[in-house]
Amino acid sequence: MISFTINGQLLMVDVEGDTPLLWVIRDLLDMKGTKFGCGKAACGACTIHVDGEAVRSCSYAVKYAEGKSITTIEGLGTADNPHPVQQAWVEEVVPQCGYCQPGFMMATAALLNKNPNPSDEDIDKNIINVCRCGTYYRMRKAIKKAAEINANSITNS
Amino acid sequence: MAISRRKFVVRTLLGGTGVMLGAAYLGRNSIRRSIYEMAESPDMLSYMGDVSDPLMWFEISNDNKVVLHSPKVEMGQGSFTSMVQMAAEELEMDIEQISIVHAETSTGNIDGMSTGGSTTVAGFWQPLRELSATMREMLKIEGAKKLGVEPGDVKANRGTISGGGKSLTYGEIVDGVSDWEIPETPVLKDPKDFKFIGKPIRRVDVEDKVYGTPMFGMDASMPDMLYGAVVRPDRIGARYNGADISKVEGMPGVVKIVKEDDFVGVVAKSLVEAENAKRVIKVDWKTDRNWQTSDIEAAIQVGKGDSMVIQKTGDTEGALDSEGVIMAEYKSPIGAHAQLEPNGAVAHVESDKATIIMSTQVINMTRSEVAERIGMDAEKVNIVPTYLGGGFGRRLHTPNAMQAAVMSKAVGKPVKCFFNRKEEFQKDTFRPPTHHQLKAKLDDNGNIEAFEHSFASGDVMFNSALVPGFAGTVLGADIGATRGARVQYGAIPNHRAVSWHVSLPFATSWWRSLGLLANTFAIESFMDELAIKAGKDPIQFRLDHLQDDEAGRRLKTVIEKARDMARYQDKANGNSAMGFACSTDAGTPCAHVAEVSVEGKEIKVNKVTCTMDPGFAVNPDQVKAQCEGSIIMGMSASMFERMYVDDSQLRPTIYGPYKMALMRHAPKEIDVEIINGTGKPGAVGEPPLGPIGAAIANAVFRITGQRLREMPLTLA
Amino acid sequence: MKKTLFLTIAIGIMLTSISWVTARYSAEELSIEVMTEPKEVNSTQEESEIAFNKMMDVLTHQRCINCHPSDNVPKQGEDRHPHRFGITRVNSMNATNCNTCHQASNNDYSGVPGAPEWSLAPEKMRWEGLSRIEIAQSMMNPENNGNRTPEDVMHHLTEHELVLWAWEPGVDAEGNPRELPPVPVDEYIEAVKTWIELGAVIPTE
Repeated sequence: MISFTINGQLLMVDVEGDTPLLWVIRDLLDMKGTKFGCGKAACGACTIHVDGEAVRSCSYAVKYAEGKSITTIEGLGTADNPHPVQQAWVEEVVPQCGYCQPGFMMATAALLNKNPNPSDEDIDKNIINVCRCGTYYRMRKAIKKAAEINANSITNS
Repeated sequence: MAISRRKFVVRTLLGGTGVMLGAAYLGRNSIRRSIYEMAESPDMLSYMGDVSDPLMWFEISNDNKVVLHSPKVEMGQGSFTSMVQMAAEELEMDIEQISIVHAETSTGNIDGMSTGGSTTVAGFWQPLRELSATMREMLKIEGAKKLGVEPGDVKANRGTISGGGKSLTYGEIVDGVSDWEIPETPVLKDPKDFKFIGKPIRRVDVEDKVYGTPMFGMDASMPDMLYGAVVRPDRIGARYNGADISKVEGMPGVVKIVKEDDFVGVVAKSLVEAENAKRVIKVDWKTDRNWQTSDIEAAIQVGKGDSMVIQKTGDTEGALDSEGVIMAEYKSPIGAHAQLEPNGAVAHVESDKATIIMSTQVINMTRSEVAERIGMDAEKVNIVPTYLGGGFGRRLHTPNAMQAAVMSKAVGKPVKCFFNRKEEFQKDTFRPPTHHQLKAKLDDNGNIEAFEHSFASGDVMFNSALVPGFAGTVLGADIGATRGARVQYGAIPNHRAVSWHVSLPFATSWWRSLGLLANTFAIESFMDELAIKAGKDPIQFRLDHLQDDEAGRRLKTVIEKARDMARYQDKANGNSAMGFACSTDAGTPCAHVAEVSVEGKEIKVNKVTCTMDPGFAVNPDQVKAQCEGSIIMGMSASMFERMYVDDSQLRPTIYGPYKMALMRHAPKEIDVEIINGTGKPGAVGEPPLGPIGAAIANAVFRITGQRLREMPLTLA
Repeated sequence: MKKTLFLTIAIGIMLTSISWVTARYSAEELSIEVMTEPKEVNSTQEESEIAFNKMMDVLTHQRCINCHPSDNVPKQGEDRHPHRFGITRVNSMNATNCNTCHQASNNDYSGVPGAPEWSLAPEKMRWEGLSRIEIAQSMMNPENNGNRTPEDVMHHLTEHELVLWAWEPGVDAEGNPRELPPVPVDEYIEAVKTWIELGAVIPTE
């Protein structure tokens, strides 16, 4: 049995410890927001947070999640209570096909946690997922907007 | 216009009674008309199956919501949003009152065509608005009856019919109505009264895509579902010749091994177990010969294979049979689709029906293929299309659906099966490599006297499942490969284009914009070479060779606008320069100015200015998004991407080694201007991919003096 | 507020039954082994030099050098190409870092290598492009090696899991085993110990 918290819920799963966390999330827990793109940690579509750090879940054995706190796109925010990154993504109308977007948003949220006001170079170094529709241009705008939303909410509160 | 009464179907919904409007008229009139119009245009996809079946479009529920059932798929191009805008406009509803879903084939709303070729919004422009207006009038008639007033005295507004001081919602009107009166097709709205059409309405699917809603084929599941894995050959030309499955039997979780004449699959309780079993199946693949990249390059040469003159004005051969002919050769490599969502399907085949949930661009063809393979009438096979995690032409071939169905039939349970990433790269239906030979002659004034574009390509449309086998005989040239191959400068007195064609030993097919990217790269780079030879400004040089007709005038407007917006400079500034190129694809002219810098051997695209005239932009924000995306996908293909053949294996097999544009490569500025040149929407999703490769190469020449004639662009 | 949900899913997932990691030595590597086979040793100096070279056969192998870059760009693969996706040393301090993809053990599903403390060697330990002698000088210099004594260095080189990962490097993205260093692990450990015990003498030529 491996136990971890996912989006605030404590779970126990009985699976082989080397099973990729992505498969546990998608196929056992039936949370399909985190995407399978390549299974090789190359595209970033499966990016989630483990204890606040960006992790590519296709290459993360579930045994390492023991006792940790996982956040997926479903737990990042909701339409009623969006994360600043999601709010910015909607406002800039970033997605086209949309498949890679959860991974990008998770990577961006992790970036903003560490670096609330990333420069273009910070964005280039940290956001290295693959998008085939070519939404990078709008993503960059959305990342900066999310940083602004964050900054404003801190100022206002 | 008479609409058959029997085509209107009332059905009970969860939320009460609703109505679905079906209209056979589409098959007989507008859509067929527009398809045939397209067919007459040499640039447009021209094949279509039977469209005489009843088409189901609208579902109105008692809570006053309309569900629009789309027979075209949403793969990122934003056409769902445009369709909702068109429907809302004529239905007199708000955008939020309409939702749009993919039509399952069981609803009867089946389009014989694929989703591709940038045709969705253009093709539905007239028919969808006519359908919506007809539905609105029907609601007015029934609403008037219920309100007890004359139909002429009611008004439709925001999903409500009002008259005589009272009002009813559409949802209230449909309740209990079983016999609808169908009026003549109403006059459509004057464009000056548009509330939604032509406005930058926010994408209707943006929230689902941002909050992680399951919506793709890969996200699908069914109760009691098993997982399938198919052993696929990794070598070109490998034919299945039996398999040794002895090691699989008794492996944990394995439910069944499915051996067919053309493939072997394994069904297991979990994906991991299926994949593990797949690894130990020993398949005997028969191959005839070993292939290398050099074999492929040798095959794709102007002068080899079948040829056809696809454009001919004046006596080009005569004019080029003289001294002073300028010549250059260009090449483009094999390209992969590399869409993020792998191909797959969830299939459930039962004794008297089958259900397939999947991402496909060819809903109807997928249905036929599955039905034939499992020996079931097509009407009993329900294809449930999902949102596509990228299409780009990759999902025009869907053997994965057939394989999932065969495995499901074998085990009597739902089976989910998809390609792994290595298979996606190796079993792709690639963009074929091309070779281009350009010849031209300048007259004494530095104007082009003769221009010839000869090019060689593998299949794009030929041998595609979309086109009957005889298409080659009838059409002569592969009309996919010829996209963008014609010389668009009609004022050149002698010009011609010659297509050479060879089928390669692996599948090549449609890749967003088809031949446009490579053909434009060659022609527009060569135009730049000629302008420089002639000592002229490259933009003025192009304008000087445009003919004075509608196409020429629209292209001229686009070119001048791009030049002015970018403040085009023909001279390099240190290690930076601008490059210009333009193209016309499927009737849509587009121009790019790329602002490029070179650092060491690295080419950086800093800004792109893009102007495009798609006729009319139903959603200007999404037309812009298509331009931005096309520019980035096109620069990725032009600058980085290349598949090669090593001992009969197509490689690379993963992102990274298959180098693509990432965030750091994308231009930080993309300035798009849309021109509504005709008032009628045309192609959007592919035309802006055309000019980018040449625009970048033309800038690089100004900085370095190196003329890069091969994609991916690589500095010496 | 945290809810507790017990989910018992017994699906008996069997892990890859194939033994991925099998030692593979090419003919060329074997010849190195043959050349360095124990033979009559005339002097302590010669013994030290043989041990030094054996150790350096390993330390200059791509399994080691790939993460000791001189240009702050980690390398990958047998051909030592720059790490894909533009990864640099800057990443190691960032939101997208080594541990976004690399965990404490190899991942046979993704082909991503992993070991405890997976990271780039410190900036002072730039080995790529250096000669064997230069690498040894850098490695033994307390200013570069984090104030390690020769004995500390010996422990690091022979016991640290990240170093020993080189002999259990797992499979690549296509499931093919990664090449092992040209000297078996026990011989390498023996060689390091011998060289250090004999005074860690760096040959002059």
